[in-house]
Amino acid sequence: MTPLEILSAAVNGQPAPRIPIFCNLLDQGARELNLSPKEYFSRGEYVADAQLKMLKRYGHDNVWSLSYVGKEAQLLGCKEILFAKDGVPNVADFVIKTWDDIADFEIPEDITLHPHWQSMEDCLAILRDEVGATHPICAYVTASTTLPVLLMGMDKWMELVLAGPADLRDELVRKCSDFIQQQIPALRAAGANVIVYSTPFGSPYFIPKKMISEWSMPWMQRDLASGVGDVVYYCGTAPYNNIVDLAIEQLKVAAFYLSPLDDITESKRIINTRGLTCGLIDDIKMIHWSKEETRAEVKRIINIGKNGEHFLFGTGLMPMDIPEENIHAMLEAAFEYGRY
Amino acid sequence: MFETYIKDYNEAVFDIDKETALEVVESALQQGITPEQVVFNIIIPSIEQMMALIEKDPDTNLAQHFMTAQIAAGITETMLTKFSTPPEVIGRVIIGTAYGDLHSLGKRIVIGCLKSMMVDVVDLGVNVKAEDFVDAAVEQDAQVIAISSMMVHTATGEDGSLRVRALLNERNLENQIKLVVGGAPYRFDHELYTKAGADNWAADGVTAAKIISQLILEVKAS
Repeated sequence: MTPLEILSAAVNGQPAPRIPIFCNLLDQGARELNLSPKEYFSRGEYVADAQLKMLKRYGHDNVWSLSYVGKEAQLLGCKEILFAKDGVPNVADFVIKTWDDIADFEIPEDITLHPHWQSMEDCLAILRDEVGATHPICAYVTASTTLPVLLMGMDKWMELVLAGPADLRDELVRKCSDFIQQQIPALRAAGANVIVYSTPFGSPYFIPKKMISEWSMPWMQRDLASGVGDVVYYCGTAPYNNIVDLAIEQLKVAAFYLSPLDDITESKRIINTRGLTCGLIDDIKMIHWSKEETRAEVKRIINIGKNGEHFLFGTGLMPMDIPEENIHAMLEAAFEYGRY
Repeated sequence: MFETYIKDYNEAVFDIDKETALEVVESALQQGITPEQVVFNIIIPSIEQMMALIEKDPDTNLAQHFMTAQIAAGITETMLTKFSTPPEVIGRVIIGTAYGDLHSLGKRIVIGCLKSMMVDVVDLGVNVKAEDFVDAAVEQDAQVIAISSMMVHTATGEDGSLRVRALLNERNLENQIKLVVGGAPYRFDHELYTKAGADNWAADGVTAAKIISQLILEVKAS
């Protein structure tokens, strides 16, 4: 079976030789091609090339079309990204500086005509041609209730959400949701077959469950109106076990990329056969773990999740400081213990 | 008498209800409670109760932490202008985000709580160089440097808290200035703070204020 077929079997609870194994190697791409991060992220071809080279070297199941999360902010007018030699690029220019800017903030009529879209489309075109028939190609979409963080900063957004005028808050979320309603179909059309829907404001780590139910959920339903068959619910590694029921009922999402801080036994019990439980290794600890410690943790996670199928083993954002031998150790263990 | 105000105030904060929290304080003032008593007998004990609650209840959320800090800081700032004599601060902290890091939410929560607990806070902002942290701590006679990092590379990178530690060591300042770190990466690896060269860490902004206050008192006592 191909990795894409293995993923499909896991989602649907059908027989497969092993569980799917996702490894999110994003910032490692620049090092792979021996380019500066700024140069590397400037062209979609570079990102695709690095993804394919790392796929060949490590043998995991998925590739990514994502350059960095700030790309979405650039599509919406951000003029500056702060690149780092050893980690994730930051948004350095907030499009919305004061609440007054929200009224003038506009979504492009067609985001696919935006210059920053081109590099993503170029990347996806290569990935689709090379591995689209066999491998999951992941694309990243930030939920409308979280996207304002990239536009105005987390603290200003939190202030507006919790203590600002509700109509202004929702005006901004509506515009962000309009953007997502363009973005998801465009990513699918370009070749993405897994949409990782990042929704930290859908995690009770960020806001109370009542607020998620009454405020976030309706916006998420709007964001995902074009379908959820390929959508993965993800809260940016924030835990969300006690929201899963709500997400299944109200969003009909069937894949949950949990947090290393979630109790996977509990996740598996809640999701059961209703969807795919994605159990994550705490990859920040992998920076300092030995190969043996890494293997032991992979074994522990897979032993919890593998029985009853409907399970995927995955990583978080894989910091660049993780030693290469630990990446190999993790994946060797995942393939070994993940066999049925 | 204060117990009822503390209970009502904390219930409002926990429900992220700023308006009701302010009404509790206004009601206290109308009943003859002084601005000094509002801060020392209601706001500070309320924050301390919130700290204890957060330790016991891992399901408290970032929204509650943020509002705890923002409401308390706002009230304290207003009350301070009405004090009959200027209050005595317990110490001073230099705070900022690590070099290369532009995320300011956690820092803002810590600052709000510290100000309400009568700690003088010097905020260097975001993307702060290690040298600037140490220079400011020396110039301002601070007992603690607090560094917030949202990303792994800014938490453990050579230009962040590790560089601050090296500078404190080079300048023989390690006994008089303590180094505290916080932010998302530390929540995933509880030993990461030692690899970042820090004396201590906190899992959230409210708890960070408690740890920083304790370190200030330790430095002043030594």
